[in-house]
Amino acid sequence: MRESLRQAWRATVHLVMAAAMAFGTILFITVLLITAAVTLAVVGAWLLPETVLLIRRIAGSKRTIVTAWTGKPIPEAYQPITGTLRERLRISVTDPGTLTDLRWMAAHYVYGCLLVLALPLWPVGLVVDGVRSGPLRREPVVLPLIVRLADLEARWSTALLRPSPKARLAERVEELTQTRAGAIAAHEAELRRIERDLHDGTQARLVSLSMRIGLAKRAYDQDPEAARRLLEDAQEQTEHALTELRLVVRGIHPPILTDRGLAGAVRALAASSGLEVTVEVEGLDHDDPRAPAAVEAAAYFVVAEALTNAAKHSGSPRADVHLARVPTGVRVAVRDEGRGGAEETGGTGLVGMRRRVAALDGTVTVTSPVGGPTVIEVELPCVW
Amino acid sequence: MRVVIAEDNALLREGLVLLLTSSGHEVTAVVGSGPEILPALLAHRPDVAVLDVRMPPGFRDEGLRAALEARKEIPGLPVLVLSQYVEESYAAELLVGGASGVGYLLKDRVGRVDEFLDALDRVASGGTALDPEVVTELLTRRRESPLAALTPRELEVLKLMAEGHDNTTIARTLVVTERAVSKHIGNVFLKLGLPPSDSGHRRVLAVLAYLNNA
Repeated sequence: MRESLRQAWRATVHLVMAAAMAFGTILFITVLLITAAVTLAVVGAWLLPETVLLIRRIAGSKRTIVTAWTGKPIPEAYQPITGTLRERLRISVTDPGTLTDLRWMAAHYVYGCLLVLALPLWPVGLVVDGVRSGPLRREPVVLPLIVRLADLEARWSTALLRPSPKARLAERVEELTQTRAGAIAAHEAELRRIERDLHDGTQARLVSLSMRIGLAKRAYDQDPEAARRLLEDAQEQTEHALTELRLVVRGIHPPILTDRGLAGAVRALAASSGLEVTVEVEGLDHDDPRAPAAVEAAAYFVVAEALTNAAKHSGSPRADVHLARVPTGVRVAVRDEGRGGAEETGGTGLVGMRRRVAALDGTVTVTSPVGGPTVIEVELPCVW
Repeated sequence: MRVVIAEDNALLREGLVLLLTSSGHEVTAVVGSGPEILPALLAHRPDVAVLDVRMPPGFRDEGLRAALEARKEIPGLPVLVLSQYVEESYAAELLVGGASGVGYLLKDRVGRVDEFLDALDRVASGGTALDPEVVTELLTRRRESPLAALTPRELEVLKLMAEGHDNTTIARTLVVTERAVSKHIGNVFLKLGLPPSDSGHRRVLAVLAYLNNA
């Protein structure tokens, strides 16, 4: 009985909030209608986007309330309202989320009043269930009805507030547009860096090399000793050029990744990191099918960056690397038991990591409380 | 010496053949792909094999695998592995069965003809030739270690030992007497807590094992 009372009480609170919100929306819809009218008169065009934002906020708090009751989050999909007034107006009207919210609001105006049904159940329930659970020792039957009512309210709200497939699609397109822009920018920066490295480094060395060989040829007859020195010099230049070229290649695509695949390359990284590193691999080993090259490269750079950071900043002699093939792609986790407190803004490392991962539509989660441990988790979606 | 070469790049292949024949060696076979390596080595039983790591058909680490395979089939077969880039873990794999008759060098080193031929001789006669870059990688990745206690000169001696050079070469490279080299080596072993070893490949192994586990 006590439990039934408690639950019925919670359900009533939920229904009271719903009713209050429904009542609120009655007022609100009036405001909305006025805004629409004024907007037609072009006097208060700026009000429309603001109104839509307000509706979003109300729908958002409703989502929170329903989630608190059901325990299941309701997804949200809105297009950001930004830009010039004209654009804001366009987005406010065309965003499928606006329609979803308005539909919910209108419906909620009606079903929000379920409280009206719940309230009379209280006196009846207290008497009937009091007798049933007291002298009769039976289960209460009336008070749970109130809980059912709250469930019903929550189910309708969930159904109405869930974004339409169209809205989700719109949100996805928005997200992809942004990550693609980021990927193109990163790609361009990368190309410029490679171009600069080759141009200023390797190419310049080859020019000076050719010059030295030319001089050596001229000196060959008169001054063999000078020619020798020039050739010696030329050879050194060649070696420098080769070293630089190797570094450039390594930065584009680590050769060991081609040779050994992700697991092998990460084990090699671990061995040369200067830390004691355990590497755990699930479904990505040598004889497993290989992930797409771009995903392998991103995962490799994530581990390299994370291990470098761990060696430099964590103060811990140990780190754990976990690579796994998951249904949605590849998951990478690097953990150290160091001092934590890694800052996103501190260096370019984590920023670069985020950009690289975002370009592949992946996510980076860094948890690094002061005192450790630091855990970097990366998900790279892909199919293969 | 009778040499078998495995290299898929025509330019480098011709260069190697030219270099070896002009310095008095006999190239008994030249192969251009991974699967051909082992049969060629079994058929010719060369004094030393010069293998490229990345070969057709997969362009991954066919040469290295063939080298390991060949040393299983023909124990002690001297192999000199050449690569466009050096990878510490590859060196470790080559050294698993012992450092005797093993070489692992960057392709760049071929340009230093005398040093390259010297390394080839060393490998063929059961010694070791490790690329300086591998050794540097091994040395620099240690954060806190007894290596810090070594003097710069002792560190140089340690590097040259790890690359597989004998006392004579070390002395010549550093322009000091062999007696001085012996003294430095003694100090290095003492500071690192290693048992004194002879000048052969066992010494290389001891030093490398130390660097790997420090």
